[in-house]
Amino acid sequence: MAEKYDLIIVGAGPAGLAAAIYAARARMKTLVVDESIPGGQVKTTHKVSNYPGFPEDVSGKDLAAAFAAQAQRFGAKIAKAVEITGHDLGGPEKRLVLDEEDEVTAPAVIIATGAKPRELGVPGESRFRGRGISYCATCDGAYFDGKDIHVIGGGNSAVEESLFLTQFARSVTIVHQFDEFQAEPASVQEARANPKIKVLLSHEPRGFHGEKSLERLEVEDLKTKERKVLPTDGVFIFVGMTPRTDLLKDVVPLAKGGYVETSEAMETAVPGLYVAGDVRVKRFRQITTAVADGTIAALAAQKYVKEHRR
Amino acid sequence: MSDHVKEITAQDYEREVLASKEPVVLDFYSTECPPCEALAPKFDAVADAFAGRARFLKIFRQASRELATRLGVTGSPTLVFFKGGREVGERMTGEEIKKSALKAQVESILE
Repeated sequence: MAEKYDLIIVGAGPAGLAAAIYAARARMKTLVVDESIPGGQVKTTHKVSNYPGFPEDVSGKDLAAAFAAQAQRFGAKIAKAVEITGHDLGGPEKRLVLDEEDEVTAPAVIIATGAKPRELGVPGESRFRGRGISYCATCDGAYFDGKDIHVIGGGNSAVEESLFLTQFARSVTIVHQFDEFQAEPASVQEARANPKIKVLLSHEPRGFHGEKSLERLEVEDLKTKERKVLPTDGVFIFVGMTPRTDLLKDVVPLAKGGYVETSEAMETAVPGLYVAGDVRVKRFRQITTAVADGTIAALAAQKYVKEHRR
Repeated sequence: MSDHVKEITAQDYEREVLASKEPVVLDFYSTECPPCEALAPKFDAVADAFAGRARFLKIFRQASRELATRLGVTGSPTLVFFKGGREVGERMTGEEIKKSALKAQVESILE
């Protein structure tokens, strides 16, 4: 027997949970589903300094927990660590199957599935995942206590997570393909001033080598074309994110990069199907913009459900 | 934690993992680890499903550094599979471990 809701939100990150707060307060029977615990990318971000309302910074973990608690306070249900094993999102009554056993339906669905770390696509990368290669500093930083590690990337994540990693590692060498960092100048300044951080610009990773665990990182100097093999105890990769739009593959057209185009009201071509957060085609992806999307999607969904229930 | 999941320490490794008659799924976990938290209910459910046929063990990484290093484990969670005292199959790591994938992996090891 399928359980009926007014709104199902896929993804319990900032976009999904902001939507849940608004939907629940509008007295919509709301279900949020997530494959993990709530928080999305925020939960593994060690420190958030630019979310309005927190003049003293807030840990990603605490911010994520606060979002979830607020949604639940108004009656939204959050299903954690579930897998969507079946779905039918194209019609007026949308259906999801969770963990091969529970069926849920709703006239309106918001997809807020966010993004996952992009891989380099370099030989050895998948082999050493979890054996020296990581994409999450908060998750795995402690494994590299006193070690000499490398970070690949040059944006905010690479620079900020490198600073975070200095509390564990003996040295952190940032390897970046361009001549200068793309990160916020304030973070770059802090990184360059940190004695544990070294910088290798205009270099690209070409391979990962080792026996049972990662032992060497091969890089290429883009200026001289020279290949160098660097001994390493671990490599953290922060080269961007890729949108998680597998659910929407055959439901709505996907734009370049796998993102989804929507109207200003977060609508897709399918009535009652909305998209919010990092998965959308947009220029800037931040917690604040995700929260804005979630809000709009919930308000639009509320109007839609009201009109279609008459 | 499910009745079918047992917590062990590094001292128990030889006896509980290598000398086990049934295949073993060993979960290296840490605290402050959202992917570990997300895995826990799935691990419990799969342990219940395979009760009696495979053993599901958890080991706290921070208290077992030497063993983790010896096995080349550098991320939490990491699931390592054992049969007849040797490692078998592919390890599973990180946030994206799905219950269905874990079930399938255990099935293939039992064959």
